[in-house]
Amino acid sequence: MKIEINNLHFTYPGEIIALSGINLSIESGEKVAIVGQNGSGKTTLVKHFNGLLLPTNGTIRIGDWDTKDHSVAELASRVGYVFQNPDEQLFNSDVKSELGFGPRNLGYDDDRTEELVEDAIELTGLDNYRDTNPYDLSPTWRKMVALGSIIALDSPIVVFDEPTTGQDAQSVEVIARIADELHSRGKTLITISHDIDFCAENFERIIAMSEGEILLDGSVLEVIAQEESLATTFVDPPQLTRLGKELGFDQTVNDQASFLGAYRLSHEQN
Amino acid sequence: MHQKLSFYVDRDSFLHHLNPLTKLTLVLTLVILSFLGLSYWLPTIIFLFIIIPLSFLGKVAQEFFNATVKLLLPVVGFLFVMQAFFHPDGTQVIFSIWIFDVTVESLSFAYLTASRILTMVASFLILLLTTHPSDLMSDLTRRGVSGNLSYVITSTLQIIPQMQVKAGTIIDAQQSRGLETTGNVFNRVKAVVPLVGPLVFGSLVEVEERAIAIEARAFTAPLKKTSLREIPDRAAERAARWIFIGVIIIAIGLRIWLL
Amino acid sequence: MALVELSSVTYTYPTTDKPALKDINLKVEQGEFLAIVGSNEAGKSTLCYTISGFIPHFFHGDLVGEVQVAGLNLEESKLNEWVLNVGLVFQNPFNQISGSKFTVFEEIAFGLENLGVKRSEMIERVERAMELTGISDLADRSPYSLSGGQQQKVALTSILVMEPQVFVLDEPTSQLDPIGAREVFEVIKEMSRAGITVIMAEHKIEWVAEFADRVIAMHDGQIIIEGSPQEVLTSPLLPEHGIGTSRYTQAAKQARTEGLFSETTPLPVTLDQAVAGFSGGNHED
Repeated sequence: MKIEINNLHFTYPGEIIALSGINLSIESGEKVAIVGQNGSGKTTLVKHFNGLLLPTNGTIRIGDWDTKDHSVAELASRVGYVFQNPDEQLFNSDVKSELGFGPRNLGYDDDRTEELVEDAIELTGLDNYRDTNPYDLSPTWRKMVALGSIIALDSPIVVFDEPTTGQDAQSVEVIARIADELHSRGKTLITISHDIDFCAENFERIIAMSEGEILLDGSVLEVIAQEESLATTFVDPPQLTRLGKELGFDQTVNDQASFLGAYRLSHEQN
Repeated sequence: MHQKLSFYVDRDSFLHHLNPLTKLTLVLTLVILSFLGLSYWLPTIIFLFIIIPLSFLGKVAQEFFNATVKLLLPVVGFLFVMQAFFHPDGTQVIFSIWIFDVTVESLSFAYLTASRILTMVASFLILLLTTHPSDLMSDLTRRGVSGNLSYVITSTLQIIPQMQVKAGTIIDAQQSRGLETTGNVFNRVKAVVPLVGPLVFGSLVEVEERAIAIEARAFTAPLKKTSLREIPDRAAERAARWIFIGVIIIAIGLRIWLL
Repeated sequence: MALVELSSVTYTYPTTDKPALKDINLKVEQGEFLAIVGSNEAGKSTLCYTISGFIPHFFHGDLVGEVQVAGLNLEESKLNEWVLNVGLVFQNPFNQISGSKFTVFEEIAFGLENLGVKRSEMIERVERAMELTGISDLADRSPYSLSGGQQQKVALTSILVMEPQVFVLDEPTSQLDPIGAREVFEVIKEMSRAGITVIMAEHKIEWVAEFADRVIAMHDGQIIIEGSPQEVLTSPLLPEHGIGTSRYTQAAKQARTEGLFSETTPLPVTLDQAVAGFSGGNHED
């Protein structure tokens, strides 16, 4: 399902301009990371994707829906939004009911709900905790419950708000694996994240925002090569990209495989 | 996101420089006088000839009138209408709507009630507009009010806007999971548990962490606390407070004697 | 004698049967910067709460073994005495605001008010602490109006002003954006340079390598390795226990298996070490 944004402007009450003239389209099945410092407008932008915010000017369409004509609850069938803090949404007494909350809200019958919940449990690895109260789980697992509760909506588009904040290396790996699986099912994945290494390793397209506008938009390699532009929105290039640059590589690298490839090449040339 | 946390308006005025306890005593005096029922017009006189001039003296007249119009008039107006229609006694009917009679008696009782409430809230408004909450609390703590109590009061003042922000985020998160929270009454009722659950749990976590944080700042140290803020208290003010208390005693005495 | 000393410490929270700390032995010297790494649930926070006295005095539960700071014994001390020696700053900056103060200056003075410090001395100490952490310009702001990074700097200053002997920091940057995290780190570095003893749980490996004098890695309530940053952070024990390592270390290890990275060059943790290590490998041919 396509996201199409036309000349989007958004001003917060009190005349604070957050977005000025965003034009953007995201095709079905893309994996997009949106980066930029706090206040760059990235959160304001993604909150438009499921109607939490409505444009002051301009339009945003999710497939054939203009977000203005639909409630957030209706849009949940098309755009799943994983909030950063699981504690600001979990309220059921067991993991299974928590995951079933969304599908039931969307009016799915018991069989379909059951099927979606089981799928989300499997993807997030919550198998041993299906009857546990979410608040008896560790923060890391609570994050998985929140993630699972959005996966269970089975929406064609999924938005992740800072998925790696406060997570350790293992759970970041799990989140990356879940993203891969959803992507292979043809879903559109969008993340906003400060973790540029995570974005460079797991996403295909990066949009860098600054002061309510799109600063850079392109493939991962194109964007992370723009060290100077990125610096204006206070984003450092990924670690291995910086290392490659320091070592004088000809091409930009974004992960371990591409780094070692380039290193081998420079090694052979010597 | 910056939110206004109290009514306090930072100005340089005679009222601002008074000791918080002096202002508190004055407010209590005015409130007691209004409610004792010594004279029918007394609350009105206090409002017009003491409270309004005080708002000018404190250089907060504009804020005072704004708050009065926005906050108080609707409440006082509502009280007035309720009392006017539903006061049980009264014989001199002015007009009737359906089965309700508005009588001279009910109207005069309604006016008295409304003017008393207006005077009470307006006096406290003057206190809050011209007194920094920290000063009020530090001063009361210094005079022996428990530190815990004043901590609870000042932190509650600050926590309300924060709770509103949090409730907003929770509603957003639940709507994003397909919950309809607007529209008919049924939707709204259904949305209560998903909103209140995380709000309560979040507050429990917050209370525990905050307890750790203030403990780490020696809140329960068995020492006599000092205060960063200097709160003036002059001999003249102490005298004024005794005079206010005298007025209260005389007024109560008069009330008993007149009965 | 070490400033902080834990001997055979085992601790179990009241609601569970499984110990969260198992037989911890640890010494920290005056002025040292000790970093604790480990995955979530490894026991880092529990260790921080133990050194800062909240275990057992706030969380209760079952503590075996001995904890000593500056010659005082934890179990024989009261929490409100202990906090004067050991300051604690934790992850969530927002929940560390006292909640009863209206400006940053008042917020930082809160601890000194509780200690009954004279007003003139209080003002002087608050000003000095704010200068050290570089937040003098925030003095009149409401603590609630600040960014997460600024709030965390206020939290650090609020403890610093009380002049504890040991600073315990439990992942102080994990909830912050990169700019805020970097700023808070600079403040911590500054405090360490000023001679304050720091014990910090942290998962940003490159920063640990940059600042720490010594590192311990924890897993399942135990210390699995202890030593210099280089030694601990490049140890194969870390990935074996699910603890993240630096991308530079990972790349160098992989390169080594292909004969592209010298066996004798130490594995890099930071960018500078990686640049040196990888260019060294290049020149060998």
